[in-house]
Amino acid sequence: MSAGAPLLEVSDLTTQFFTRAGVVKAVDGVSFSLRRGEVMGLVGESGSGKSVTGFSIIGLIDPPGRVAGGSVKLEGHELVGLPPDQLRTLRGRVVSMVFQDPLMTLNPVLTIGEQIRLALEAHQKVSAAEARSRAIAGLAQVRIPRPEATVDFYPHQLSGGMRQRVAIAIALLHRPKLIICDEPTTALDVSIQAEILAEMKELVAELGTALIWISHDLATVASIAQHVAVMRLGKIVEAGPTLDVLTRPQHAYTRALLDALPSRAKPGEFLLRGGGVPDAAPPARRPVTAAAPVPGAPYFVADRVSKRFEARPGALCGLGQKLGLVQPPPAVMAVDEVSLVVRRGEALGLVGESGSGKSTLGRMAAGIYAPSSGTVRFEGRPVMSAGAEPKKLTIRVQTIFQDPFASLNPRMRVSDSIAEGPLAHGLVDKAGSAAYVRDWLAAVGLDPAFAERYPHQFSGGQRQRVAIARALAMQPDLVVCDEPVASLDVSIQAQIINLLMRLRAELGLTLIFISHDLSVVRHLCDRVAVMYRGRIVEEGPAGQVYDNPQHDYTKRLLAAVPVLPEAAA
Amino acid sequence: MRKDSPLARFWSEFRESRVAVAALVVVVLMIGVALLAPLIAPQNPYDLANLVLSDARRPPGYVGSGGYTHWLGTDAQGRDLLSAILYGLRISLQMGLVAGAIAFAIGVTLGIAAAYLGGRREAFIMRVIDLQLAFPAILLALVISALLGQGKAQLIAALVAAQYAYFARTAHGAASAERGKDYVEAALSTPLPARQVIWRHILPNCLPPLIVVATVQVANAIALEATLSFLGVGLPVTEPSLGSLIANGFQYMLSGRYWISIYPGLALILLIVAINLVGDQIRDQVNPRLKR
Repeated sequence: MSAGAPLLEVSDLTTQFFTRAGVVKAVDGVSFSLRRGEVMGLVGESGSGKSVTGFSIIGLIDPPGRVAGGSVKLEGHELVGLPPDQLRTLRGRVVSMVFQDPLMTLNPVLTIGEQIRLALEAHQKVSAAEARSRAIAGLAQVRIPRPEATVDFYPHQLSGGMRQRVAIAIALLHRPKLIICDEPTTALDVSIQAEILAEMKELVAELGTALIWISHDLATVASIAQHVAVMRLGKIVEAGPTLDVLTRPQHAYTRALLDALPSRAKPGEFLLRGGGVPDAAPPARRPVTAAAPVPGAPYFVADRVSKRFEARPGALCGLGQKLGLVQPPPAVMAVDEVSLVVRRGEALGLVGESGSGKSTLGRMAAGIYAPSSGTVRFEGRPVMSAGAEPKKLTIRVQTIFQDPFASLNPRMRVSDSIAEGPLAHGLVDKAGSAAYVRDWLAAVGLDPAFAERYPHQFSGGQRQRVAIARALAMQPDLVVCDEPVASLDVSIQAQIINLLMRLRAELGLTLIFISHDLSVVRHLCDRVAVMYRGRIVEEGPAGQVYDNPQHDYTKRLLAAVPVLPEAAA
Repeated sequence: MRKDSPLARFWSEFRESRVAVAALVVVVLMIGVALLAPLIAPQNPYDLANLVLSDARRPPGYVGSGGYTHWLGTDAQGRDLLSAILYGLRISLQMGLVAGAIAFAIGVTLGIAAAYLGGRREAFIMRVIDLQLAFPAILLALVISALLGQGKAQLIAALVAAQYAYFARTAHGAASAERGKDYVEAALSTPLPARQVIWRHILPNCLPPLIVVATVQVANAIALEATLSFLGVGLPVTEPSLGSLIANGFQYMLSGRYWISIYPGLALILLIVAINLVGDQIRDQVNPRLKR
């Protein structure tokens, strides 16, 4: 076959799911082709059908789903309609797949070496010694340090990035002609993502493998793929060379996706030309009846706070520790003597990677966790009482959580979720609570008629609006936002960012904004604190930290963020 | 009922299993006839003046001195067995439901309190419950009813003591999982009073597994009560439950007068199997792993 012929030709692929509610066309007439050694990005928001497209290519659609039409030709051979056992001989050998969460795809009770041996034996006969040496070679190829030792590890002994490398090593074992990666770096920190992106690029070039990179993130796709296809509602709305599509988008949807990115707007500017910002103003505040601030005290201060998480020993182990027979497991210092001052009216961004302690610090600031040592004070008074059963003392600090699916009580109408705090603290009386809830729903851009609904009747973005209304209905002065947009699609994320900016200005709120996403923090925050391993390593005005980072870790972090090509003027 | 209300969705899924629907019909019918026993039973089996000794131990279909047919025969005192079963069902269900409800209340309170309080108090409550679960329920119930004597209240105490631990275990597990979720942290960080967090946030979200345990435990309570009554430490002969009816006829089994034991036994089996089938279906429905 000539080098010019396409390796993969997908034409008019249609995948349908036959559900209780009717037929859902997850993939609706998708066509594209891919040459050897080429990298194609498949971009879209959740529900766009990008993952289902990947699964459809290698025949991994389970009932009630079915590939209903179209063709997938690999080197000229039709894959659609192939019997399962013939597909199985292709999977892993000719086409392989890498999934988002390697913890789900690696078997927790087998060592890395055993899993690689099984993957090898699926398609060829190998001796135990040969399998081991192939496994070590495979691990070395994906740049896993000390492969001879790693081969005997279990998945849980490896970090997320290492696990994903193992999954990639397994995908590469049989030198497949095509690899489909489904959101392979979404669960990883940016610095790990940057490493994997760089390694993947090299490997693909070296081995001549074609790659389909499925992602919701335009920037990662831009840094690896030569071609990109943008999907929406099961259809490809725009496709072409990456640079063209991202710098001269033709389709309105692609333009909207790009406009939704905070990294492409000026800090503090409304995204999507103000999309998602409600017309209604938030309800008037009640005059504050709280005690006057302690004179001279900073507005909000965390004074050398630490949080230690100790493993709770079982009864027998505890006895063993007391007798000195068993070593107690080392305690984890999630936050280590951190001091932080927040000024009235400012927005402080708290950035860091997973495990840096930013969420734990945020929860101490919000009065959810009591610090192991040190104090958190708001207007000079402690946020939490000391003692064996610490209680939160102020209602003027409130929290917005990351996951709007988890942070709303699923069995409570949203009107009750929003009203119960204000009712419990006398901010509103029973007679006025219904109107109060409606005003707040309008202020966060929801139809007040939704008040009697349950959380499952809302979309993710709408639920986050409800969660914002619930926090703000307590009439706080300071709001701790813990990754409030991390679980949302970019266009919804842009709307929630707009909403937060608007409400902050209307209500004169002070924000502590926790995020792993540096561009969101830059967009929203005046000042930034960078956390690394439980400490704040750098702190300063946002512009200064981003443009002229001082600490090595900040420099590395900023360098790892994938950058979109600049739009043509 | 609105079409998308949780209850309507639950019912439409429940309806898919014919066995479960049939079992539910049986349960409802049995509760119905038990409630209506004084109206539909041909005879009041508690009224000794009604009993005629010449009617004793007659086989099913015998037309007695009362002028009506004893469809299921009569027992050693000349009692109509159908009436005795209807009244026995009444007592068995009453015992099972009341004991189940009290065990539910005590067990769920302890379980959720343990999960909410944490620390040493949690450890203490749960170890006591573990200790109790290590004893066979029947042994515990036997000891308690032997100590307290016969009577409805005493029997209920014995049943509750044998069963609350299962509720406590389930409630503790569910509440511990809910305790760590964001919406509970959100409620605590508002802050809402502990009472409100427990009643309005933790408890409602713990209910699905507890409802499953409750159905199974009501069936178990009925079986346990029948066992105790059969062994003679349950209810007095003047208030025969299904268990005491079986015990009454036991001595006649080998002399061919099978009906005195067999029919109450069948009623008991039917009731317990039906409740368990309904419970199984509810368990399958609330288990998200089995959701399609």
